This record gives sequence, C-alpha cells and structure tokens, in this order.
Amino acid sequence: MRRGVPLAIVFIVGTLLLLNYFVANDTLKATSTNLVNWGVIVSAFAVGLASVNLVRIHINKISRQRPGWINSVALVATMAIFISVGIYTKLNPDNAGAKALFQNLFDHSYSPFGSAMFAILAFYVASASYRAFRMRSLEASLLLIAAVLVMLGNAPIGELVWDKFPVISNWLLRVINMTGQRGIAIGVAIGGFATSMRILLGFDRGHLGQGE
Amino acid sequence: MTMINGTFFVLAALLVYGTFIIGVLVATRSGKFTPKIRRIAALDSIEEAVGRATEMGRPVHYTPGYGDITSSTAPQTFASFDVLTYVVGLTAKYNTQLIVTCKSPQSFPLIQELVRQAYLASGKPDMFQEDTVRYISDAQFAWAAGVLGIFNREKVAANIMIGYFMAESLLFAEGGAQVGAIQVAGTGNLAQTAFFVAACDYTLIGEELFAGGAYLSQDAVKLGSLGGQDYVKLATMALISVGTLLATFNSKWLVDLMSK
Repeated sequence: MRRGVPLAIVFIVGTLLLLNYFVANDTLKATSTNLVNWGVIVSAFAVGLASVNLVRIHINKISRQRPGWINSVALVATMAIFISVGIYTKLNPDNAGAKALFQNLFDHSYSPFGSAMFAILAFYVASASYRAFRMRSLEASLLLIAAVLVMLGNAPIGELVWDKFPVISNWLLRVINMTGQRGIAIGVAIGGFATSMRILLGFDRGHLGQGE
Repeated sequence: MTMINGTFFVLAALLVYGTFIIGVLVATRSGKFTPKIRRIAALDSIEEAVGRATEMGRPVHYTPGYGDITSSTAPQTFASFDVLTYVVGLTAKYNTQLIVTCKSPQSFPLIQELVRQAYLASGKPDMFQEDTVRYISDAQFAWAAGVLGIFNREKVAANIMIGYFMAESLLFAEGGAQVGAIQVAGTGNLAQTAFFVAACDYTLIGEELFAGGAYLSQDAVKLGSLGGQDYVKLATMALISVGTLLATFNSKWLVDLMSK
C-alpha cells in the first residue's frame, strides 16, 4: 500500500502525459494540462518545505553559535528582507517605491553575486586545464596536443602563423570530437530512456526508499 | 482519436526499444539471463573516497546536481539516487558524516526520505540528522556559492557529484580540489563531462552514470535493464548503418519513414 499508491500515480500520470504527446484528443489534452498544473502546485509546496529546512538549519546554527553562525545570520536576514519586500510589493502593486526597492535589491545584491560566481569559472578553467594538460600519460599528452591545436585554430594568431591551423582545429572538432560526443550522447539517451521505462512501469522502486 | 503527425516513428521506436529493455529485464529477473558489467573505476573508487574521509575524520559531500525529477534531466537524477543509497550505506558502515546538498526543491523531500531510510536499513538511524540533507537554493549560482562555502567551512574529504550538472560542475570540482577532497563525478551533460574529466580524480562518462545502480547493487531489475540497453544500442547502430548506406545512394526512404 505504502509503495503501491505512489507507483500507481506515477504509472497513470506518466502514461497519460505520454499519450498526450502521440494522440490528438481534446479530453486528453485538457487532462494533461490539469496534471501539469497540479505538478506546479505540488512543486510550490516543495519550495515551502525546502525553505523551512533551510531556515531551521540556520536558526539552529545561530542559536547554538556554531562556527560560522554569523553567515547564517546574514542568510536569514537577507531571506526575511527579500520575502517581506516581495510580499509587500505583490500586495501593493501601485507602490512605485516598493517596486523600485525590490528591483534594486535584486539588481544590486543578488545579480552581482551571481555574476561574480560565474566569473570565477574563468579562473577555474585555467587551473583545471593546467592540472589536466600536464603530460603525465599518453592520454594527457594527446589532450594537451589536441587542446593546443584547437586553441591555435581558433585564435587569430594561429592562422597568421600557419593557415592550416584552423583546418586542423575544425577537423578535430567536427570529426574526432563529434564522433565521440555522438556515441556518448546516444548512450546517455538510451540510458535515460531505460531508466524512465523502469520508473514508469514500476520496476525500479529505489527512489521510494529501502523500507517497507 | 487521431495520431499527431510526425510521432508515428517515435511511438514505434518507443514500443520496439521498450520491448527490448523490458524483455531482457524480465529474463534477468527470472534468472534466464545474466548480463555482465565491466569494471567501472569511478564506481569502485567511491568506497576508497569514503574510506579516506573516515581516516581523516572529515565529512563526505554528495550532490545529485542541477537536475530535478520532473524534466528531461530526471533520469540522471534518479540514477544519482541509486549511487546516493550506496554512499549512505558506506558512510553508515564507516560512521562517517555525510552532507547531501540539493538545488531542486522538488527532489529535496525525496532525497531526505531516501537518506533517512537508507540509514534505517543500515541499522544507524541516529546518523540521519536534520542537516544531513541540505536544501541550498533553487538559483544556480546561489546554490554553487552555498556548496563552495560548505567545502571550505567543513573541509570535506570526499566530494561525490553524480547527476545532471551545468556550469557549476567546474566550480564544484575546482572548489573540491582546493580543499584536497578526493572527487568522483559523473554527468550525462556532455558539455560538462570535460570539466569533470579535467578536474576530478574519477569520472563516470555518459551512460556509465546509468550503470551505477546496477553495478553497485547487482539488482536483477537494474542489471536486466542495462543488458536491454545493449540490445537497443545494437539496434540503433544497425539503423545508423542502414541510414548511412541509404544516404550514400541518395535514398531518402529512411528519412521519410522517420518523419512520419
């Protein structure tokens, strides 16, 4: 019973949504739209549940003054400010000041932090490449040679040094690289399909936990 | 009730490929067929990673990645759950702290219950704490910042990243390398696989991600499904070969059939 109900829901909902992809039927379409909308509502509850976990962990950390508790204060305070201003703005859509405050909070705090995280990637690409391209083995050496050729083919100076660099780079990307990538992509697609089939038909119950 | 144009071939492929997979799965479950799996270094290394964390007295970090349970990334997330169950069993066996971080609020309750029950099944229910599974944020870089903070504050000794990953893959892999963690990663996102290969100690490439559950649990259903995948691959290779031959002779028969 504990597992039977979720498995039945997965099978019925999954089959209906799958049928909707293949069959043109107004009732089926309306049912599928309703099911997807229910999914959105359930997801909204999930966000609430997850946020409660986040707040509980950090309140606990603050109250016990564990190492780094000051970071938790920053997180809880920021959450409180964003939620308060967000709700106030929604309830008072004509209040231009509140709207501007919410937009400013987003544009001048959240966005720069997100951009900074993304920018760190540039430095991490350099450090990861340095480690990966060290000629410790045949594979690493091939990786280094291929990377240098592709870089020379894409950088303007490469073509000035030897006009065949772009041709070699293009060949490496379109033939050698693409062959491997397509093989992996087909394998991933088949693996994903098999996993989905197992879950849809109830053969795979691992995600429901180990207990009965 | 009529079929939507352009979906006939997809339906036929789904039924044929589905029959292959379910057929082999049922045959394996009934003991008539036993697929063999080659050794996968990345999966073998998970025990080594947890063992190392135990020796150092530091936690193991696990993340199922960017994917959720309702989109096209869901199969990779579910494949990750199989590996997570195995990791929970290992941390219970070695009494090592586990930290699981989530981005998707939808998969959070599922992961929380999965981890709780895996500890219960291992006979260590007390090891499941409120902060064992942590929801960080649904926003990609806020989640990445939170995970990097955990790496640095809690000095994780092992970092296991299995699932669907986007740009945060390299942030995590390099962040983990900076704190000296042994790293095992795997994703079906090709663009990120290269980052994992470059920055991690062990990487699951492509479909190896989906072999994790079968390889680690030796469960007949998962082994059968994996065996069925091989037959589907053979059929796909045959279809590609026929298509290549037909295209060489300027025939559009297969292309027309596939667009029906």
